[in-house]
Amino acid sequence: MIKILAITACTAGIAHTYIAREKLENAAKEMGDFIKVETQGSIGVENELKPEEIREADIILIAADIRVNKDRFMGKAVVEIPISMIMKSPKGVISKIHQKLGK
Amino acid sequence: MAVEEILDQRIIDLNMKAKNKEEVLSYLAELLKRAGYIDDLNGYLQDVYLREQEGITGIGNHVAIPHGKSDSVKQVGIAIGKTDQMIEWESYDGEPSNLVFLFAVPRNSEGTKEHLRLISELAGKLGNGVTLEKLRMAKNYTELTNAFL
Repeated sequence: MIKILAITACTAGIAHTYIAREKLENAAKEMGDFIKVETQGSIGVENELKPEEIREADIILIAADIRVNKDRFMGKAVVEIPISMIMKSPKGVISKIHQKLGK
Repeated sequence: MAVEEILDQRIIDLNMKAKNKEEVLSYLAELLKRAGYIDDLNGYLQDVYLREQEGITGIGNHVAIPHGKSDSVKQVGIAIGKTDQMIEWESYDGEPSNLVFLFAVPRNSEGTKEHLRLISELAGKLGNGVTLEKLRMAKNYTELTNAFL
Protein backbone atom coordinates (compact mmCIF):
# COMPACT_ATOMS: atom_id res chain seq x y z
CA MET A 1 0.00 0.00 0.00
CA ILE A 2 1.41 3.34 -1.00
CA LYS A 3 0.10 6.79 -0.24
CA ILE A 4 -0.38 8.87 -3.36
CA LEU A 5 -1.36 12.50 -3.41
CA ALA A 6 -2.33 13.74 -6.83
CA ILE A 7 -3.34 16.88 -8.67
CA THR A 8 -5.26 16.87 -11.93
CA ALA A 9 -5.57 19.91 -14.19
CA CYS A 10 -6.44 20.18 -17.88
CA THR A 11 -6.42 23.12 -20.27
CA ALA A 12 -10.14 23.95 -20.22
CA GLY A 13 -10.69 22.79 -16.65
CA ILE A 14 -14.10 21.43 -17.52
CA ALA A 15 -13.96 17.71 -18.16
CA HIS A 16 -10.60 15.91 -18.27
CA THR A 17 -9.58 17.21 -14.84
CA TYR A 18 -12.56 15.47 -13.25
CA ILE A 19 -12.54 12.34 -15.38
CA ALA A 20 -8.87 11.83 -14.52
CA ARG A 21 -9.68 12.21 -10.83
CA GLU A 22 -12.34 9.49 -11.04
CA LYS A 23 -10.03 7.20 -13.00
CA LEU A 24 -7.17 7.67 -10.54
CA GLU A 25 -9.40 7.04 -7.53
CA ASN A 26 -10.82 3.86 -9.05
CA ALA A 27 -7.41 2.57 -10.15
CA ALA A 28 -5.82 3.20 -6.75
CA LYS A 29 -8.72 1.50 -4.99
CA GLU A 30 -8.41 -1.56 -7.22
CA MET A 31 -4.69 -1.72 -6.57
CA GLY A 32 -5.10 -1.33 -2.83
CA ASP A 33 -3.38 2.04 -2.61
CA PHE A 34 -4.41 5.21 -0.81
CA ILE A 35 -5.02 8.22 -3.00
CA LYS A 36 -6.33 11.74 -2.62
CA VAL A 37 -6.81 13.84 -5.73
CA GLU A 38 -6.94 17.62 -5.77
CA THR A 39 -8.63 19.09 -8.85
CA GLN A 40 -7.63 22.43 -10.29
CA GLY A 41 -10.34 23.34 -12.78
CA SER A 42 -12.79 26.04 -13.81
CA ILE A 43 -14.45 25.99 -10.42
CA GLY A 44 -11.09 26.46 -8.72
CA VAL A 45 -9.25 24.13 -6.37
CA GLU A 46 -11.29 21.32 -4.84
CA ASN A 47 -10.36 18.56 -2.42
CA GLU A 48 -7.22 20.51 -1.53
CA LEU A 49 -4.17 18.59 -0.35
CA LYS A 50 -3.33 19.53 3.23
CA PRO A 51 0.20 20.09 4.59
CA GLU A 52 0.02 17.12 6.97
CA GLU A 53 -1.24 14.88 4.15
CA ILE A 54 1.60 16.03 1.93
CA ARG A 55 4.07 15.26 4.72
CA GLU A 56 2.84 11.68 4.97
CA ALA A 57 2.60 10.97 1.23
CA ASP A 58 4.93 8.52 -0.49
CA ILE A 59 4.63 10.33 -3.78
CA ILE A 60 3.09 13.41 -5.35
CA LEU A 61 1.58 12.77 -8.76
CA ILE A 62 0.84 15.78 -10.92
CA ALA A 63 -1.23 14.95 -14.00
CA ALA A 64 -1.60 18.25 -15.77
CA ASP A 65 -1.57 19.99 -19.11
CA ILE A 66 -1.14 23.39 -17.50
CA ARG A 67 1.41 24.70 -15.03
CA VAL A 68 0.82 23.60 -11.46
CA ASN A 69 2.54 25.32 -8.56
CA LYS A 70 4.85 22.88 -6.76
CA ASP A 71 5.99 25.07 -3.86
CA ARG A 72 4.03 22.93 -1.41
CA PHE A 73 5.97 19.82 -2.42
CA MET A 74 9.54 20.88 -1.62
CA GLY A 75 11.58 17.85 -0.62
CA LYS A 76 8.93 15.37 -1.77
CA ALA A 77 9.18 12.87 -4.62
CA VAL A 78 7.12 14.38 -7.43
CA VAL A 79 6.07 12.70 -10.68
CA GLU A 80 4.75 14.94 -13.43
CA ILE A 81 2.86 13.54 -16.39
CA PRO A 82 0.43 14.79 -19.03
CA ILE A 83 -3.20 14.13 -18.17
CA SER A 84 -3.53 11.91 -21.25
CA MET A 85 -1.53 9.18 -19.48
CA ILE A 86 -4.23 8.95 -16.83
CA MET A 87 -6.95 8.98 -19.47
CA LYS A 88 -5.25 6.06 -21.25
CA SER A 89 -3.93 3.93 -18.46
CA PRO A 90 -4.46 4.99 -14.84
CA LYS A 91 -3.35 1.60 -13.51
CA GLY A 92 -0.26 1.66 -15.70
CA VAL A 93 0.74 4.96 -14.14
CA ILE A 94 0.24 3.68 -10.61
CA SER A 95 2.21 0.49 -11.43
CA LYS A 96 5.09 2.69 -12.62
CA ILE A 97 4.97 4.58 -9.35
CA HIS A 98 5.20 1.31 -7.43
CA GLN A 99 8.25 0.39 -9.50
CA LYS A 100 9.83 3.77 -8.93
CA LEU A 101 9.33 3.55 -5.19
CA GLY A 102 10.38 -0.09 -5.08
CA LYS A 103 7.25 -0.92 -3.08
CA MET B 1 -26.70 15.83 -7.19
CA ALA B 2 -29.59 17.04 -9.29
CA VAL B 3 -28.60 15.63 -12.65
CA GLU B 4 -31.93 16.68 -14.13
CA GLU B 5 -30.84 20.27 -13.66
CA ILE B 6 -28.13 19.77 -16.22
CA LEU B 7 -29.62 17.06 -18.41
CA ASP B 8 -32.13 19.01 -20.52
CA GLN B 9 -34.30 16.89 -22.83
CA ARG B 10 -34.32 19.67 -25.42
CA ILE B 11 -30.60 19.20 -26.03
CA ILE B 12 -30.50 15.41 -25.96
CA ASP B 13 -31.05 13.14 -28.96
CA LEU B 14 -30.38 9.44 -28.53
CA ASN B 15 -31.36 8.70 -32.13
CA MET B 16 -29.14 11.22 -33.80
CA LYS B 17 -28.60 10.98 -37.53
CA ALA B 18 -25.03 11.93 -38.29
CA LYS B 19 -22.28 10.31 -40.31
CA ASN B 20 -19.18 12.15 -39.20
CA LYS B 21 -17.73 14.37 -36.50
CA GLU B 22 -18.62 17.60 -38.30
CA GLU B 23 -22.25 16.58 -38.59
CA VAL B 24 -22.37 15.53 -34.94
CA LEU B 25 -20.91 18.82 -33.71
CA SER B 26 -23.11 20.96 -35.99
CA TYR B 27 -26.24 19.07 -35.03
CA LEU B 28 -25.62 19.23 -31.28
CA ALA B 29 -24.59 22.90 -31.48
CA GLU B 30 -27.85 23.58 -33.32
CA LEU B 31 -29.76 21.99 -30.42
CA LEU B 32 -27.89 24.25 -28.00
CA LYS B 33 -28.73 27.27 -30.15
CA ARG B 34 -32.44 26.44 -30.40
CA ALA B 35 -32.70 25.94 -26.64
CA GLY B 36 -30.98 29.26 -25.99
CA TYR B 37 -27.73 27.94 -24.49
CA ILE B 38 -25.63 29.70 -27.12
CA ASP B 39 -26.37 32.77 -29.20
CA ASP B 40 -23.75 32.50 -31.93
CA LEU B 41 -23.61 29.06 -33.53
CA ASN B 42 -20.50 29.61 -35.64
CA GLY B 43 -18.60 31.40 -32.89
CA TYR B 44 -19.31 28.53 -30.53
CA LEU B 45 -18.33 25.87 -33.06
CA GLN B 46 -15.06 27.69 -33.72
CA ASP B 47 -14.20 27.46 -30.04
CA VAL B 48 -15.16 23.78 -29.98
CA TYR B 49 -12.87 23.03 -32.93
CA LEU B 50 -10.11 25.05 -31.28
CA ARG B 51 -10.33 22.75 -28.25
CA GLU B 52 -10.39 19.72 -30.54
CA GLN B 53 -7.03 20.83 -31.93
CA GLU B 54 -5.53 21.10 -28.45
CA GLY B 55 -6.04 17.47 -27.57
CA ILE B 56 -8.01 14.27 -27.74
CA THR B 57 -11.65 14.31 -26.62
CA GLY B 58 -12.48 10.66 -27.35
CA ILE B 59 -12.22 9.28 -23.80
CA GLY B 60 -12.56 5.61 -24.76
CA ASN B 61 -15.47 3.13 -24.63
CA HIS B 62 -16.94 4.90 -27.72
CA VAL B 63 -17.60 8.10 -25.78
CA ALA B 64 -16.45 11.59 -26.80
CA ILE B 65 -16.54 14.82 -24.79
CA PRO B 66 -15.90 17.78 -27.11
CA HIS B 67 -16.20 21.10 -25.31
CA GLY B 68 -16.22 24.76 -26.06
CA LYS B 69 -15.39 27.51 -23.61
CA SER B 70 -16.87 30.38 -25.51
CA ASP B 71 -18.24 33.91 -25.29
CA SER B 72 -21.13 32.58 -27.37
CA VAL B 73 -22.34 30.48 -24.44
CA LYS B 74 -25.15 32.06 -22.44
CA GLN B 75 -25.92 29.12 -20.18
CA VAL B 76 -23.88 26.15 -18.98
CA GLY B 77 -25.12 22.92 -20.52
CA ILE B 78 -24.35 19.55 -22.07
CA ALA B 79 -25.87 18.46 -25.37
CA ILE B 80 -25.91 14.68 -25.74
CA GLY B 81 -26.21 12.71 -28.93
CA LYS B 82 -26.08 9.04 -29.78
CA THR B 83 -25.75 7.70 -33.31
CA ASP B 84 -26.43 4.24 -34.69
CA GLN B 85 -23.18 4.12 -36.56
CA MET B 86 -19.71 4.67 -35.19
CA ILE B 87 -18.16 8.08 -35.86
CA GLU B 88 -14.44 8.51 -36.56
CA TRP B 89 -13.12 10.37 -33.53
CA GLU B 90 -9.58 10.69 -32.16
CA SER B 91 -9.57 8.78 -28.89
CA TYR B 92 -7.37 7.44 -26.12
CA ASP B 93 -8.20 3.85 -26.99
CA GLY B 94 -8.08 4.30 -30.76
CA GLU B 95 -11.76 3.42 -31.12
CA PRO B 96 -14.48 5.51 -32.82
CA SER B 97 -17.36 7.06 -30.86
CA ASN B 98 -21.14 6.93 -31.01
CA LEU B 99 -22.05 8.70 -27.77
CA VAL B 100 -21.11 12.37 -27.66
CA PHE B 101 -21.34 14.86 -24.81
CA LEU B 102 -20.90 18.41 -26.10
CA PHE B 103 -20.16 20.76 -23.21
CA ALA B 104 -21.12 24.43 -23.42
CA VAL B 105 -19.30 26.60 -20.91
CA PRO B 106 -19.08 30.40 -20.94
CA ARG B 107 -15.58 31.88 -21.14
CA ASN B 108 -16.38 34.13 -18.23
CA SER B 109 -17.56 31.67 -15.63
CA GLU B 110 -18.37 34.17 -12.87
CA GLY B 111 -21.93 33.64 -11.66
CA THR B 112 -22.15 30.11 -13.07
CA LYS B 113 -20.16 28.35 -10.36
CA GLU B 114 -23.03 26.14 -9.21
CA HIS B 115 -23.77 24.89 -12.69
CA LEU B 116 -20.08 24.41 -13.40
CA ARG B 117 -19.86 22.32 -10.28
CA LEU B 118 -22.69 20.09 -11.49
CA ILE B 119 -21.00 19.79 -14.88
CA SER B 120 -17.69 18.81 -13.30
CA GLU B 121 -19.39 16.20 -11.12
CA LEU B 122 -21.14 14.80 -14.14
CA ALA B 123 -17.91 14.81 -16.15
CA GLY B 124 -16.17 12.94 -13.35
CA LYS B 125 -18.70 10.15 -13.60
CA LEU B 126 -17.65 9.66 -17.22
CA GLY B 127 -14.36 8.37 -15.82
CA ASN B 128 -16.19 5.40 -14.34
CA GLY B 129 -16.43 2.31 -16.55
CA VAL B 130 -19.71 1.10 -15.02
CA THR B 131 -21.40 4.47 -15.60
CA LEU B 132 -20.13 4.54 -19.18
CA GLU B 133 -21.58 1.13 -19.89
CA LYS B 134 -24.98 2.19 -18.50
CA LEU B 135 -24.88 5.36 -20.56
CA ARG B 136 -24.08 3.39 -23.68
CA MET B 137 -27.08 1.14 -23.07
CA ALA B 138 -29.48 4.02 -22.29
CA LYS B 139 -32.37 4.17 -24.74
CA ASN B 140 -34.27 7.09 -23.28
CA TYR B 141 -33.98 10.13 -21.05
CA THR B 142 -34.86 8.27 -17.85
CA GLU B 143 -32.24 5.58 -18.43
CA LEU B 144 -29.73 8.28 -19.24
CA THR B 145 -30.32 10.25 -16.05
CA ASN B 146 -30.39 7.03 -13.99
CA ALA B 147 -26.97 6.11 -15.35
CA PHE B 148 -25.54 9.17 -13.63
CA LEU B 149 -27.06 8.44 -10.22
